[in-house]
Amino acid sequence: MRTSNKKYDIEHLNRSLILSLLKKKFMRISLITICLVFICCIGMATAEEPRAGFVKNVSGQAFIERNKVTLPAKVKDRLMENDILITGSSGSMGVILQDNSVMSIGSNTRLVISKFVFEPADEKLSFIAQIKKGTVVYLTGLIAKLNHSGVRFETPAATCGIRGTHFAIKVEDPGN
Amino acid sequence: MKHKLHLRIQKIILPLVLLVLLMSGCASTTQVVLLPDPDGKVGILEVSNVKGTQTLNQAWQTTESASMDRTPSEPKILEEKKVRQAFREALEAEPIPPASFIIYFRTDRSALSTDSRTLLTKVIDAIQARKSTDIIISGHTDAVGPIDYNRRLSLRRAKAVADILVARGIDRQNIQVTYHGKGNPLVPTPDGVPEPRNRRVEVTVR
Repeated sequence: MRTSNKKYDIEHLNRSLILSLLKKKFMRISLITICLVFICCIGMATAEEPRAGFVKNVSGQAFIERNKVTLPAKVKDRLMENDILITGSSGSMGVILQDNSVMSIGSNTRLVISKFVFEPADEKLSFIAQIKKGTVVYLTGLIAKLNHSGVRFETPAATCGIRGTHFAIKVEDPGN
Repeated sequence: MKHKLHLRIQKIILPLVLLVLLMSGCASTTQVVLLPDPDGKVGILEVSNVKGTQTLNQAWQTTESASMDRTPSEPKILEEKKVRQAFREALEAEPIPPASFIIYFRTDRSALSTDSRTLLTKVIDAIQARKSTDIIISGHTDAVGPIDYNRRLSLRRAKAVADILVARGIDRQNIQVTYHGKGNPLVPTPDGVPEPRNRRVEVTVR
């Protein structure tokens, strides 16, 4: 009885020892992978995300929403793909995009830069904006010049395809 | 768990909201107006939805789309004054478009000619008109000479232009200098061919 119990104990000890060793190994591996993933993320964050443009002027309530964080817009702020330009009831904002196109928004506006790719060397040229509400004025730049179907403005009721021009869009607030 | 519930609620509510928006019809009427370019030219704009397309090709021409499933209205021309009124805020906030300048150099030189110095006065005017904090100066050479030599020459040319701007009161912090050697010609030529149009500095004022 006793001996077998002891045997069992030893076996148990062995097993738990192996288990704890395995656990340690696993933890080390997962730590390494976590570190690797982390490093990759940092690498991507710094190497990728080319800027789409910058804020040229701001008046009143004007904001940039990025990754669900909304901050007041300031002159010289960088703009990135997926940024949302927002103005309140007394705000307006003018921006210059990397392809030298210029865009401005009036009050009560919400505009998403849903795509901005400007890599002329690789012929990757595209700008897509979604206007949820408000007023927008846009003057095309190099993307529209080099790629005739490269610029598109989408609203809840229509899509505007642009071939080198200057135009204004108003989208009524669905809340009104 | 909470996240899942949240997702499920989103899954139910989103289509509902979309349905309500579609049914209300005039949910977010879109008005598009074609404006003349700053140089007076007029471009082309296509406004489309699932039901059809309207093409705008005259200044102050407009079309309206009430929803994705109703054809955009026949284009008509608006009074300029009314458009300026309706889009006043956005038009007032519209930045002056960026301006580009090219300054040419004699072969193997980085000193500016008298004509080039006159052109730099226009560059400074453009910087001041835009209150520009984003001035890009890029130096280039033609295809005569070794790569390394041309890289240094293109940098000297770009720096010469930057130095004059700084001497005339432009903040150096607002200037970015880049140099390309013979790698980015305006007029592509075989290696070793002299081309005055490639011996240049480009200045972009934004």
